[in-house]
Amino acid sequence: MRGNATTPGSAVMERAAIDRTTIELLARRAGLDKALAAFPDDVTAAATQAGTAAARMQAPADPRAEPWPPMKVGAGR
Amino acid sequence: MNDLHWLTAEAAARAIAAREVSPVELTKALLERIERLDPRLNVFIRLDADAAIAAAKAAEQEIIAGRPRGPLHGVPVGIKDIIDVAGLPTTCHSKILVDNIAAEDAVCVARLRGAGAIVLGKLSTHEFAIGGPSFDLPWPPARNPWNTAHHPGGSSSGSGSGVAAGLFPMALGSDTGGSVRNPASACGIVGLKPTYGLVSRRGVFPLAFTLDHVGPLTRTVADNALMLEVIAGHDPLDPGSAAAPAGGYAAAMERGVRGLRIGFVRHFHETDLPASAEVAAGLENVAGTLKSLGADLRDIRLPALGEFAAVNRVILQSEAWTIHGSWLRERPGDYGRLARRRLLPGAFLSAGDYVHANRRRLEMIAAVDDALREVDVLLCASAMDPPSRIEDAEETERTYPRQARTPFNVTGHPALAMMAGLSSNGLPLSVQFVGRNFAEATLFQVAGAWERAAGTDTRHPPIG
Repeated sequence: MRGNATTPGSAVMERAAIDRTTIELLARRAGLDKALAAFPDDVTAAATQAGTAAARMQAPADPRAEPWPPMKVGAGR
Repeated sequence: MNDLHWLTAEAAARAIAAREVSPVELTKALLERIERLDPRLNVFIRLDADAAIAAAKAAEQEIIAGRPRGPLHGVPVGIKDIIDVAGLPTTCHSKILVDNIAAEDAVCVARLRGAGAIVLGKLSTHEFAIGGPSFDLPWPPARNPWNTAHHPGGSSSGSGSGVAAGLFPMALGSDTGGSVRNPASACGIVGLKPTYGLVSRRGVFPLAFTLDHVGPLTRTVADNALMLEVIAGHDPLDPGSAAAPAGGYAAAMERGVRGLRIGFVRHFHETDLPASAEVAAGLENVAGTLKSLGADLRDIRLPALGEFAAVNRVILQSEAWTIHGSWLRERPGDYGRLARRRLLPGAFLSAGDYVHANRRRLEMIAAVDDALREVDVLLCASAMDPPSRIEDAEETERTYPRQARTPFNVTGHPALAMMAGLSSNGLPLSVQFVGRNFAEATLFQVAGAWERAAGTDTRHPPIG
């Protein structure tokens, strides 16, 4: 991960490309044996898509930043 | 009265209250139109005609007895089939839930019935509100009444198509990544994603807990405000429900936009995801018209669409995985291909990805809040392209993510999409307005001004 506690998070999250063996390992760990057997292309596409989405997020401006609460709009402004 | 099917909800309620139109007459007229047009549109998964007629007869008796229930007395409504209606299946347009009978009404449905609305039935959606127009599900996908060869948008596809086609004047939809505003855009009607927490989600099948919103789809801005007036309000049993004051949504609708500061988010459609020429021209026309009506137009920058989409996707797919994981493990073949592909990524996202996405989300909320301190309303694209051809999977796959709706699921701000005009081949173009949290009345103010200037409420698809 690039970015640090003192610079704004302008860098995207780095993530290594995922290979087929790793995809199968992760899919089995998630209990997706049936999907892997019947729809291997869908499982591969899903793994790739997950990696792409995660990689497109910017690294946090401050790694100490609180993530919660994500959605509490409260009593209005 | 002629053309009952083009009556707005407001006009229908007024005519019913004045005993100029009977709820039975109106309901029967719509059922006749549904019988004639729905074989081409596939709006309904489950039409509940007998119950609708029975409810209309009861509504008629209540009017005769001088006991109207509320502002929607006798007005028919369609309900997206991820929202519970007591006694009817909530299938989510999926084989997985084909026998899932709802025990009670969702809160939003109960509120509509409490205001006198008549439920016509359950409407087509993308599978579990995420898949896409699919031909491998138990029911066919809904089609666009402006041209049935085209997609009506989704996932609230039946809601958008049915309202635009005059099958009912109002419908409920849900919006997790744009699913109310997409069909509103594609079908040339008005769709609102309210502020997160303003409308209860209890009784609505979840897609992603922190992104899900329930919202109204109507043919006019006034009807949208009226419907929101009925469904908005705190629900202590919905953990996401906001304890905020609700109501007064139509208060500023006739006020016009003179002096209102409107921020045009041009980079969304000019550089982030360059829009088709007709969409871009439509947006310029809306902006120019509002300026000519006295609005103070200025350019505003927000984070890039690509990152909004990534944050939305990581949160949505992580949360959805916790709902669908067991079915995806045991019954992957019972999902359609599109929904399976869009739900499986959750298995490959880490807890760290989810936390990062939420952390970034807070920064995005702050960015939109900052922009809305500088202006009263944002104006931006909704869709970057006119609706795709529904049987052209490649075109749909290419155009589907080319939109600017997901940012406001990420941030929770209210966002309204409506018609901006028509393309050269007669398909709706769209615009989106975004407001401060709980400032839906200001959105209706701007949308109402555009509607009056452009006459968007009088344009109907050439069907039936």
